[in-house]
Amino acid sequence: MNQKRFVFTITGLCIAIFLLAVVSLFSGTVAISGSELKAVLLGQVKEGMHVNILFQIRLPRLIGALVTGGALALSGYLLQTFFHNPIAGPFVLGISSGAKLTVALAMVFLLSKGCRIGSAGLVLAAFAGAMAVMLFVLLLSLRVRSMSILVVCGIMVGYICAAVTDLVVTFADDSNIVNLHNWSLGSLSGIGIPEVELMSGIVLCCFVFVLFLSKPIGALRLGEAYAAGVGVNVKLLRVFLILASSLLAACVTAFVGPVSFVGIAVPHLVKSAAGTTSPWKMIPLCFLGGAAITMLCDLIARTVFAPTEVSISSVTAVLLVPVVLWIMLKKKKEGGGSYA
Amino acid sequence: MHEEQGIRTEVLTIGYDSDLMKEITFAVKSGEIVSIIGPNGCGKSTLLKTLAGHLKERGGLIYLDGRERASFEKKEIARRLSMVMTERIHPELMTCREVVATGRYPYTGHFGILSASDQKIIEEALDSVDAQEIADRLFSNLSDGQRQRIMLARAVAQEPDILILDEPTSYLDLKYRIELLTKIRKLAAQKGIAVLLSIHELEAAMRISDTVVAMNREGVQRIGNAEEVFTEPFIRALYGIEDMDVSVLGSTPWRMSGNRESGESEADMPGRITEGAMASAHRTFGNAKVIMVQGTMSNVGKSLLTAALCRIFTEDGYRTAPFKSQNMALNSYVTKDGLEMGRAQVVQAECCRREAAVEMNPILLKPVSDQRSQVIVNGRPVSNMNVKEYYAYKKDCIPVVLEAYQRLSETSEIIVVEGAGSPAELNLKEDDIVNMGLAALLSAPVILVGDIDRGGIFAQLIGTVDLLEKDERERIAGLVVNKFRGDEAFFAKGIEILETKTGKPVLGTIPWLPLSFEEEDSLADRLERHEKRDFQIAVVRLPHMANFTDFATFDQLEEVGVSYTDRAEDLVDSDLILLPGTKNTIADLRWLKKNGLYDVIRSEAKKEKLIIGICGGYQMLGKWIRDPGHMECGGEEAGLGLLNTETVFGTEKIRTAFEGIVEDAEKGLAALRGCRVKGYEIHMGVTAIGEGTRHFTSGGTGCCSGTVFGTYVHGFFDCREIAAGVIEAAAARRRKVVDTGRLKDYTDYKDTQYAKLASAVRAHLDMKRIYEMMGLPYDKKRTV
Repeated sequence: MNQKRFVFTITGLCIAIFLLAVVSLFSGTVAISGSELKAVLLGQVKEGMHVNILFQIRLPRLIGALVTGGALALSGYLLQTFFHNPIAGPFVLGISSGAKLTVALAMVFLLSKGCRIGSAGLVLAAFAGAMAVMLFVLLLSLRVRSMSILVVCGIMVGYICAAVTDLVVTFADDSNIVNLHNWSLGSLSGIGIPEVELMSGIVLCCFVFVLFLSKPIGALRLGEAYAAGVGVNVKLLRVFLILASSLLAACVTAFVGPVSFVGIAVPHLVKSAAGTTSPWKMIPLCFLGGAAITMLCDLIARTVFAPTEVSISSVTAVLLVPVVLWIMLKKKKEGGGSYA
Repeated sequence: MHEEQGIRTEVLTIGYDSDLMKEITFAVKSGEIVSIIGPNGCGKSTLLKTLAGHLKERGGLIYLDGRERASFEKKEIARRLSMVMTERIHPELMTCREVVATGRYPYTGHFGILSASDQKIIEEALDSVDAQEIADRLFSNLSDGQRQRIMLARAVAQEPDILILDEPTSYLDLKYRIELLTKIRKLAAQKGIAVLLSIHELEAAMRISDTVVAMNREGVQRIGNAEEVFTEPFIRALYGIEDMDVSVLGSTPWRMSGNRESGESEADMPGRITEGAMASAHRTFGNAKVIMVQGTMSNVGKSLLTAALCRIFTEDGYRTAPFKSQNMALNSYVTKDGLEMGRAQVVQAECCRREAAVEMNPILLKPVSDQRSQVIVNGRPVSNMNVKEYYAYKKDCIPVVLEAYQRLSETSEIIVVEGAGSPAELNLKEDDIVNMGLAALLSAPVILVGDIDRGGIFAQLIGTVDLLEKDERERIAGLVVNKFRGDEAFFAKGIEILETKTGKPVLGTIPWLPLSFEEEDSLADRLERHEKRDFQIAVVRLPHMANFTDFATFDQLEEVGVSYTDRAEDLVDSDLILLPGTKNTIADLRWLKKNGLYDVIRSEAKKEKLIIGICGGYQMLGKWIRDPGHMECGGEEAGLGLLNTETVFGTEKIRTAFEGIVEDAEKGLAALRGCRVKGYEIHMGVTAIGEGTRHFTSGGTGCCSGTVFGTYVHGFFDCREIAAGVIEAAAARRRKVVDTGRLKDYTDYKDTQYAKLASAVRAHLDMKRIYEMMGLPYDKKRTV
């Protein structure tokens, strides 16, 4: 029964992603007809505006959304595993904000010195920020086990980071501010092929790495004591979980900016849909689920008020906050005493 | 000697940030259930978590299946030990079967894919707790009782040797509690799992446990069987409820049998003997007659005289047994049930022609330092204590001692009881359970032995008698002068003085007997032996040498000397080199290399000297010894390379009796071909014999090449033909002649030694009087 549901869910997600991809390629300010699209994709037309729009703008953005969503959801899943806490996620815990701060710092200071910051530099800066916040939250989580306090802490960290970011912006040049502002709202616009390549590469590596952790993650479902009891090196596993989730979140944040709620909500949605918590199934499901939702949100973000774009975080928040509330209520009802 | 299964601690210290409890020593053996009782917050969970490895021990040692836990990898521990914790788990969307399947973690591959056999074990685990009908339900939807059953199944799926359960019956209603405890008992009995559990329901603990560990905040208060622990005053003290009204628990809580109303006095109930019993001395245990041998001091020859009496009574047709309530010895003997007891009682049991049993020596103290001893009760270590602690504990041992005696008396007609030390240690006489106190409890007539060889025989005997209380003095039925050298006639005057001064008859003067056999601490003597004789055997004295008895048979021949040596020149001078068994082959092999004996042995082999390796020694003679599983000290080591074999240490311990022949033997020992071999094998490694190599003992248990021989069979030399053949062949190579005509099978030899001892003692002791003391007619002497 479980197996059937899993296959059903994963097939559904694949179809959804395919459909969303097709729609995304069609939609935009410039109308492209079906035959034109076919011609470009099959390589019959090599040059021209349509080629540029598709290959320079729509396709990178499409893949960007896919990878962003997948990475965030996976990061959220790992963090939830790590904290045994259903509302952990990169945005809620302030990890995205930390990444944003370091990216802002790097952008402003390096640009003011006349250096250009490359994609890899952005990722590194974001990773450093993500790790810094992660460590801080870890220290806190040693003292507080309660879900609400942890979230409050995450929000606090987020505010502090935002404040510092503002401070940086105050002293930055005008041109930088525009860049930074767009980025910090979270947007997939302006993402190009090289960024997508780097991002996809890193996320793919993390995905494979996480798959290799399936067995111990599965054992961790009974809690750390039992995991240790069957021979899991819990300390090492925790280090791996932190590294992988931080890298995933940092990578996305570096290119797209903070995107909220995908990380929390998606693991719960796919879990409920497939009726399983087996890591073997959860890891691909999270990835695909995150991808589908983010693609949908991005599509909405750029089409609803076209030609004006809304920030993607606004869309994810509107769509996913109800889901997060539902999770919290459900947990309370189940008497998840250990979480509250 | 005995393969140990289960968990054991030695002077363990536990605690989180500071020492919560110190010196916890106890063991849980295969198939046993041990429960831990005590008030809330006293450290039961801390102890269990420490044993399971969730907390680090703060001192002391933990052994799993006989090996130190620290030497295992996490996964290896997980294959041996599983735990059910008090913390509730909240697995999301997991069916019970999935929860149970996590128990297979330590066995599955990198991706955790379950094989068919894993699936089968999971189903069996579910069956073992009758959980098939809930197997596909979600764990989170179960009741507490069902959850606990699933957690037990999960632990079982881990296929542990040791199962630890922290308050498994909390939250459970009566029905589930009974179900769960029944299942735990079944698991222990059927799968031989060592079970350790903490529990608050005392009535359940009373019935389910083989051993109960009672602890409170001050530490472990008592370890013993249910009868020893569940006494009302003790339980009240343990929980700090001395003055509390406990009538809500019924009239007689914490009693094994609720027959207080039946009018039986406390003292009449076995296992509940208190001061009352000390006073009511005249009790009979079965129909066995009893006699006790006490000495004026240590080493006056009590053990030997006891052994002699054992053999004499046995020869006279009585079923006899030795008994010593408390022994102090460094080396213990391990019975076939894996229980420890003193070696002297083993020899005495052999004199009685019966198998040694732990009842013959219920309490054994093994010194671990100047101040402290490990206390072993009924063969199992209970704790490490200093003198003062043991003194307080001793009183609690009275029921243990009497029970052991009781069991022994059911299968014996005469019991020869041996005392310890001197009965006149005036400062230690309170609660005495080894000398006069025991004699009183058993109503035993006492023979007091003095040692004339060390001088002061009059002071010894008369002084001791004089220092005793009146009732104690009356227990002494006769005196014996031991280890007399010279002409007895000269001592006639002495006997007269002894008899007049003490008013006790002298039963005999026993000459100094030059007899050799195993005794308590003679192992150490044996090792120190460096005698030079006409024919010299050099046994390489490996640091982890085991099974000393392999070469004892050579003691029979006067012209044959056995020296245990680590000196190169001894090996070169010897006529025969023996490599003994060892508890750590690889470490000892490295030792050989380090001190150069490695090269000496190889060059002696080149000179075609006869070299024989037994067990570990045999392994060393081969080309390689590998220890991939880290069963000893890991790694691999090149052997002496004298035999074409390779040994790999596996997890399985081979432990079997051996009966076979010498299949083939090259020029060195050709005469042995076809000889019958009887002995036993105990080893971890499996040795592959290279092709074309000649076999030695049958069944692939040994091989040979030139003058180098190896076999796994312990007791190889015990058979007359073999010992004689080996000596003759070795002597011939060295152009010597040794007469092996007097050589016997080792068991026969020992038996003749015992017979010699008996006849010597019989000749010098007034046996008629001794029989009369016990209330047996002398003329009714029966023949075997």
